[in-house]
Amino acid sequence: MSGATSPPGETPAYYPGCSMDGLGKAYEVSCQMVLGTLGLPLDRIEEYNCCGATEVKNLSHDVSVALPSRNLALARGMGRRTVVAACNGCVYSLARANDAMADPATSARINARLAEGGAPAYDGSAEIRHVLEYIRQRAGAAGVRAAVTAPLKGIRVAPYYGCLYSRPKRYTKVGLEPGRDNPESPYFLDELLEACGADVVRDYPAKTICCGGGHALSDLDVSVAFSASVLNEAKRAGADVVATICPLGQINIENNLDRIRQSFGEEVLLPVAYFTQLMALAFGRSVREARLRYNFSRPDLFFRARGFA
Amino acid sequence: MPIVEKSLVEGLQRTETLEVEGIDVSGDWNTFIASRVHTDLDLSIVDWVRGQPQGTTIDRCWQCGTCTAGCCLHTDYGLEEFNPRYFIYLAQLGFEKELARYAQTVWRCVSCNKCVERCPKGVKVEEVVHSIGTYLELSGTAPKSPADRFDEAYTRNLLERGILDEAGLFQAFEAGEGRTLPTREKLRMGLKLLFSGRLHTGPLAKRTRGWGRLRPVLERMLAEDLAGRRRGLPSRRPPTGGP
Repeated sequence: MSGATSPPGETPAYYPGCSMDGLGKAYEVSCQMVLGTLGLPLDRIEEYNCCGATEVKNLSHDVSVALPSRNLALARGMGRRTVVAACNGCVYSLARANDAMADPATSARINARLAEGGAPAYDGSAEIRHVLEYIRQRAGAAGVRAAVTAPLKGIRVAPYYGCLYSRPKRYTKVGLEPGRDNPESPYFLDELLEACGADVVRDYPAKTICCGGGHALSDLDVSVAFSASVLNEAKRAGADVVATICPLGQINIENNLDRIRQSFGEEVLLPVAYFTQLMALAFGRSVREARLRYNFSRPDLFFRARGFA
Repeated sequence: MPIVEKSLVEGLQRTETLEVEGIDVSGDWNTFIASRVHTDLDLSIVDWVRGQPQGTTIDRCWQCGTCTAGCCLHTDYGLEEFNPRYFIYLAQLGFEKELARYAQTVWRCVSCNKCVERCPKGVKVEEVVHSIGTYLELSGTAPKSPADRFDEAYTRNLLERGILDEAGLFQAFEAGEGRTLPTREKLRMGLKLLFSGRLHTGPLAKRTRGWGRLRPVLERMLAEDLAGRRRGLPSRRPPTGGP
């Protein structure tokens, strides 16, 4: 993959992934709202398929490369170089496929199979961006600030990036190209939330830890402990709400709320919301429009209590 | 600094508070590793891992321990015996007997990829560790783990229609593990998801158009890879477990 950036005028392709069209619907809806307000359109890849996340690769390397490659080939077929995804797991597996397809032998092998299945060939030339990076790169903090009509004044937000947003950089190229986030100490979410008027908490050591989502069901001890520390560290830093950028992280934390309450106590719990839900509020959308009630941690109650309509 | 390879230490004594004649001598005692000779080393494990596309980078490891130092299971979760550097070391050595002590541990990697991010030698640590875990499972040293079962359920689910049926996967996996949510709880969650348009399961499941043509090809690739990874396993033990 070359480091060349796509033409600034290009509308990137959008890879929703299964979660955005399923359990992460509040993320999808609020994401489109925010992108619409900022004038950052995305063209959806129709008839996409699941990217395989971090599971398929443990059974078959080639299937785990073929799945995302088909999606990236569809994007290239639409004439787009940049592919935006909103899920950390999708960003990871799409970028990992790019890395694998850079090897000519692998590329030939995978493309032969894709052709056999009636799917287009992929040349490895797409660039993957998380929607957070995309918003920060195209609109910037200034663009976001200009769109804010209902600043999140006095709302203390913990920016939770989770794991696969930026790492590993050998796949995502985060930190290796100009204008990208910092892979070890990301700050784009901090900036965007600050631009929304929120009081972003400093000293949040859990911002890039794992939520345990990969083992959400298969290793409850680990996933509950990690989800709890995402909340607990946020609380210690003085946050009112945790902002997430990944449907798996959001769903894993919320799915564990009861177990967190049982193991660590009520005082650890905090409302959790997608960062685009918070941005939509700041852009003047209502609690209902931002779908905050969809979240099991009920950030709708919190924001209503703080005077948001 | 705790001794990580404490399993090699016979008779390690750890004391929280130990005072001898008014002097605090608490800590780790008997930490000398007795000299020993191992003759049962078998390199088939490292040969096998190297032969997997996920494990090709194992030879680059020079044992600096950066992976373990940042590992979220080792540090944040505090599972001290989860030590990717050591797993790789034992595999490189062919020290399967010692590795077998971690049969219940290796599978617990949550794929956060901090190790891959930080490895100065470009080892894809996370995938190498998964390969080591797979070897232990296929060679009969470790039982099939819940994570292995989840990977299989996930893959089966997505190959069905091209799009993952999240609720269907949740139900199938939980039922397979012998866990079920109370009916009331399930109804409450199910209805909330259904009425907000988030439940695409059963007859509502989404499907990728044209998947019918690609699916058999992917199924064949999967079957070939699953069969392929059985090649090169030592024949001394019959492989157990599923695919």
